[in-house]
Amino acid sequence: MAHLLLNDVSVHFGGLQALSEVSFELRPGEVLGLIGPNGAGKTTIFNVITGVYRVSGGEVAYAGRKLAGLKPHQILAAGIARTFQNIRLFTAMTALENVMVAQHCRTRAGVLGAVLRSPAQRREEARIREQARAALDFVGLANVADQVARNLPYGLQRRLEIARALGSEPNTILLDEPAAGLNPSESRDLMDLIRRIRDRGLNVLLVEHDMKVVMGVSDRLVVLDHGELICQGRPDEVKKNKRVIEAYLGH
Amino acid sequence: MEYFFQQFINGITLGGVYALFALGYTMVYGIIQLINFAHGEFFAAGGYVGVIVLSFLGAHGYMGTHPWLCLAFSLVLTMGYCAMLAMAVEKIAYKPLRRSTRLSVLLSALGMSIFLQNGLMLTQGVYDKAYPTAFVQGGLDIGGVRISIMQLLILGLTAVLLFILNALVFRTRIGKAMRATAQDKVMSALVGINSNRIISLTFAIGAGLAAAAGIMVGLYYGAVRYDMGFVPGVKAFAAAVLGGIGNITGAMLGGFIIGMVEIMAAAYVPHGGEYKDVFAFIILIAVLYFMPTGIMGENVDDTRV
Amino acid sequence: MKKSLARILFLALALCLVAGGAWAKTLKIGSISPLTGPYAADGTDIKNGVLAAIDAFTAAGGVPGYDKIELDAQDDASCDGKQTVAAANKLASQSGDNKIAGVVGAYCSGATIPASEILDEAGIVMISPGSTAEKVTERGLKYMFRTCGRDDDQSKAVGKFMKDYLKAKTVFIVDDKTTYSQGLADNVEKECKALGLTVIEHDHVNAGDRDFSAVLTKVKSANPDVFYISLQNSSSGGLMVSQAKRVGITSKLVAQDAVFHPQLIDNAKEAAEGMYLTFGFIDENSPAYQSFAKIYSAKYGKIGAYSSYAYDAATALLTAIKNSGSTDAEKIRAELLKMDMPGAAKRIKFKENGDSGSNYIVLVIKGGKFVNFWDPETGKTF
Repeated sequence: MAHLLLNDVSVHFGGLQALSEVSFELRPGEVLGLIGPNGAGKTTIFNVITGVYRVSGGEVAYAGRKLAGLKPHQILAAGIARTFQNIRLFTAMTALENVMVAQHCRTRAGVLGAVLRSPAQRREEARIREQARAALDFVGLANVADQVARNLPYGLQRRLEIARALGSEPNTILLDEPAAGLNPSESRDLMDLIRRIRDRGLNVLLVEHDMKVVMGVSDRLVVLDHGELICQGRPDEVKKNKRVIEAYLGH
Repeated sequence: MEYFFQQFINGITLGGVYALFALGYTMVYGIIQLINFAHGEFFAAGGYVGVIVLSFLGAHGYMGTHPWLCLAFSLVLTMGYCAMLAMAVEKIAYKPLRRSTRLSVLLSALGMSIFLQNGLMLTQGVYDKAYPTAFVQGGLDIGGVRISIMQLLILGLTAVLLFILNALVFRTRIGKAMRATAQDKVMSALVGINSNRIISLTFAIGAGLAAAAGIMVGLYYGAVRYDMGFVPGVKAFAAAVLGGIGNITGAMLGGFIIGMVEIMAAAYVPHGGEYKDVFAFIILIAVLYFMPTGIMGENVDDTRV
Repeated sequence: MKKSLARILFLALALCLVAGGAWAKTLKIGSISPLTGPYAADGTDIKNGVLAAIDAFTAAGGVPGYDKIELDAQDDASCDGKQTVAAANKLASQSGDNKIAGVVGAYCSGATIPASEILDEAGIVMISPGSTAEKVTERGLKYMFRTCGRDDDQSKAVGKFMKDYLKAKTVFIVDDKTTYSQGLADNVEKECKALGLTVIEHDHVNAGDRDFSAVLTKVKSANPDVFYISLQNSSSGGLMVSQAKRVGITSKLVAQDAVFHPQLIDNAKEAAEGMYLTFGFIDENSPAYQSFAKIYSAKYGKIGAYSSYAYDAATALLTAIKNSGSTDAEKIRAELLKMDMPGAAKRIKFKENGDSGSNYIVLVIKGGKFVNFWDPETGKTF
């Protein structure tokens, strides 16, 4: 199953130790919150999992397969999708096209097929379109499918990022601060969306600063500080943990 | 009036050649921000592969029996060959420099251009190579305006290729992947696009179109020469800039404008023939003065690859 | 230890160089012609013509006092003179055993003119096989010679042909703006006017253009009796002629010596049939031509337009060196002015200004070949 396992993962850039021997797992069908002060190494973990950074030590395994050495597009093909802290949409494409692009790794038709518009290619194109519409519908963007991404309001661009990640039909989705910049009502909708994603059978790794969101939606939490894992457990357990309180409040 | 229409036909024929040629510049620029100086060499190589294949078929008598089939066959072979050549050039000369400064890649492109042109000269000789004349005779006469069969062929082929390219870029997943890579290489990798393959493919498509232009020009003018890519290359590049470099629709438009301006200047301005290039570049400068990113605008990335 | 070994090796090397120089004496001559670029075809013919002359001369005993004759073939790439000047400077700067005794070249008038000034100053004889602009020999240069004819003579010949034989009334002239092609076209225009022919228009294209559709459409709608083509090379010529036929021009096509090359027919094929052009009369049955053709085609293939002129230029140069027993420009010049012998292209006999006389005739392309057609001297067909 779609089990993501980090085993003693270390990353350093030159002399800077960004992560040291971090181990945790993301179990099928759960929402795991990843929290910690700024610079704790949360985004580094995302970049390690998605193949943007290489590990200096330890390993990342997904569904029983080691991810070391795989390129970002191969990791996506393996079933891990992500969103970004600062929105990175293909701003000039429509919402629908943004989602369709994400299905690139799930399609086969070659150049020749594309040029000749073979029946197989046309069927595939139709299937992708259908799925992309479904993904937009799922996040509530069905009515803006044909608008160019850069013209969408900020909150909707956030959702579009999630729809695009879902478009690649992942088993695991990594959300990097999806609530950043959202108003309280939008945040509530977001929490609802994350739960619905989990209910579809996906496991979700969530980095989030908004404690209301992260506490409300996570099944478990992992807390990082200065590149070290200092605590993990259910939200109510973590809230009481001394080291966590220290890390957030200072000594 | 007949005279005008005749010149108009001449203009769009030449424009079509420039348009096909310019697309390669613009597509490569769009995707890796490189001015591919070696692009003109794909045009010349296309002309040569075409003449070699057609002469071979002619020598075996197929040209007499199935001229159109021979032409289609040589066109496919030529485009395929140049596409592969371009992919090889990209792998050898540009890919290893992907992380270097833009200037080093530019110099590598210049070097590749010189290398390929001299390679062509050494292997094919300094003399012109003449095309078989099977297709070039005949044409249509419409009210005193003569459209030669080669002009029809160039226009038809240009239209078909431009249509296919448009469909490819704007209606297929590969096109979407190309546009995505052009906009944001890191992000497109994260949504699962193998950007190396897409870049390779972009080179292949651009070179394929230039090769098609090369073989058409070879047939139209009757002969090819190893350095035939240079002057039209400069014009095609100007066309790409005129349209807004990186913009596919712009390159097509730019190609037709440059072709038309050149012909009309030669046709109507006294002594225009000798200054037709000047007119082409005056238009370029004038447009860039008022629209610094070209007619369609470099940053209108809706159509950018 | 190491150091002394290096010293011995260096000494040995130096000794070898000195000894080698003393034992094998080589006569060096130069050539300047475009071996790359748009005029590479003619330029290569010129180089090959010189090489063939060296072969022939060596086979006949060579130059006394030298074991070998060597060619320093410079490539000036184009007709604009910039690279020609560089090539001339390079040849002029050679000294000692490498001193260049004389130069064959250049091809284009626009290149020969600046290059000859450098060579003349350096005291090196230059013999051009193909620069026909009048100015080439009208600058009072002592060491400038040519084996080809002159454009003013060529334009007289073609003017006479158009008026007397073609009975033309209207002419449309197109040139491609090089010193030579435009100079000749201007002369032809003057000649036409003097003879009472109407020059409808004298238009220009750029050297190296491949698309002539605009200007050809102009010619077609003007419908002149004669369409006179003055282009710098046969490659452009071939393209223009085949495009002219396709556009539907029915005027008589008349061209000049620069497009006289087998390549013209190779490229234009049937479209070239029936077109006229002027070129110096070469008697292909003469023994001198026959022996040249034998040597040349065995090693260098198809004989180009300027192969025989370059062969004659090199032969004249080598003969003058041999006869004077010197590589001094003054003595070579004196020998050249004395010379009177049959050459491959024509009789080698120089005037005081360096010209060798013109003998332009009109040729026609017939059955895929250049055929001698009309002689302006006699006003009769061959």
